[in-house]
Amino acid sequence: MSPALRARGATVVIGGRRVLDDVSFEVARGELACLCGPNGGGKTTFLKAALGLVPLAAGEIEVLGARPGAAASAVGYLPQAKGFNAAFPAHVADVIVANRRGAWPVRVRTADREAARAALGRVGGEPLLDAPLRGLSGGELQRVYLARALVNEPALLLLDEPTAGVDARGRAEFLDLLAGLAARGDFAAVLVTHNAAAVRRLARRVVYLDGRVRAWGAPSEVLDRDWGRTAFSGRDHEGAPASPCEDQE
Amino acid sequence: MRDLVDALLAPLAQGFVRRALGAGVALGAAAALLGVFIVQRGLGLLSDGLAHATFGGLALGLLLGAAVDRAIWVALPFTVAIALGIQYVRRRTTLGGDVATGVFFAVSFAAGILFLGLRSSRSAPVNVEGLLFGSLLAVSPESLGVILAVAALVCAVLVWVGPRLAYATFDPELAALSGVPVAELEYLLLALTALVVVVGVKTVGVVLVSAFVVIPAATATLVGRTLGAIAALAVVLSVAGTAFGLFASYHLNVATGATIILTLGAMFILALVLRRS
Repeated sequence: MSPALRARGATVVIGGRRVLDDVSFEVARGELACLCGPNGGGKTTFLKAALGLVPLAAGEIEVLGARPGAAASAVGYLPQAKGFNAAFPAHVADVIVANRRGAWPVRVRTADREAARAALGRVGGEPLLDAPLRGLSGGELQRVYLARALVNEPALLLLDEPTAGVDARGRAEFLDLLAGLAARGDFAAVLVTHNAAAVRRLARRVVYLDGRVRAWGAPSEVLDRDWGRTAFSGRDHEGAPASPCEDQE
Repeated sequence: MRDLVDALLAPLAQGFVRRALGAGVALGAAAALLGVFIVQRGLGLLSDGLAHATFGGLALGLLLGAAVDRAIWVALPFTVAIALGIQYVRRRTTLGGDVATGVFFAVSFAAGILFLGLRSSRSAPVNVEGLLFGSLLAVSPESLGVILAVAALVCAVLVWVGPRLAYATFDPELAALSGVPVAELEYLLLALTALVVVVGVKTVGVVLVSAFVVIPAATATLVGRTLGAIAALAVVLSVAGTAFGLFASYHLNVATGATIILTLGAMFILALVLRRS
């Protein structure tokens, strides 16, 4: 069986800048890997390339054995910025069903509604089913978007800083939830995060991305290296974290 | 009571009133449905810009020798081309949609003025006021046919692509990941807007047509809870307001297009008040 995700020499150029340079790593089926690195290090770009939203200039990314974008319904995605239009009359069930149907539901059918309810149940958000999207807290919104990503029973989940903008309690709850889901091994996941605690707790493997893959291994190997002096020595990298995955607080 | 109703509906005995009602209602329904997407996407200015581009298209038609009633056959492709040009600039540059609209709308309006001036001195004089303010009561049987066909086409396409277009309106990136052809649908939305605006210019004129697109949808958005409810309400309000405005203007002997828009505006203010209380 092909791995959940395999990057080989993946290179992305945006506006003449190499945002990703010769990136290679692999995530096995059912495995949870974390993607860390400084801002501008290409983490979000990598996820977007894996989704087929950003073209590769060289190399390849295989997602569930297919080209990026080809296995779209088997890939769940939780975006960093919930860039939805706040004026849009969206309810939680609509958002989840839209991912199931590939279209906005003018009227939510019973089967779709039950699927949305089940997906929300997995993330402990069942009472939110009929809530309007605007007015949800950051933590509630994360749950809804996670349920949205899970509704098609994905084999691979891509999560882009899912706890950014969520308070400490919400973050802890979300990580508990993710740990519980990931432990079942139903899906592989790539989690972009700056949160060292999340990495230690959840990840079997960590990729440290700063344009190129600077390190790839078990959390203990990657996190405990002295990045301040080794990885960034001789390079002008203002604001680079002393540890590759620093806590946000 | 019956006498009163008969008296109020008496204008329907006249063919031009029936044509005006048919044209107004068809245009109102199509514009309102389209308006739901235009309002959600914050493109209200776009329909105004395309109305001014329509003036350029009609003027080009007149310059090419078309009769006033036939100039619409030049204005339709002209305005669709302008709409696609605006969308191209929106997608391919970092300029905002309002900037692209501003450029295209001023240029095509200026071209329209130039085209009218270039016509030979022997050609029939043009009623520019009619172009700017429309003439719902002067809709010919041929124009009515064009209006009904365009309205039916726009409504049918919107019902067909509406759910996917709505998804792309909510979040274009997530919609694209679900397989929605986001870019193509945006071009389609602008082309449909151009079609509605051109036939709208024929009926309520350059100055007022965008109100037809924006006001009923804005009113419905204030009070509707779901997208389906908003779309249905926008169409109902638009059709009712158009019919009411038409009859009111006839009995009061005032300008038709303006009365319709004022009726729609009154509905908007009512919705604003009801929503607060």
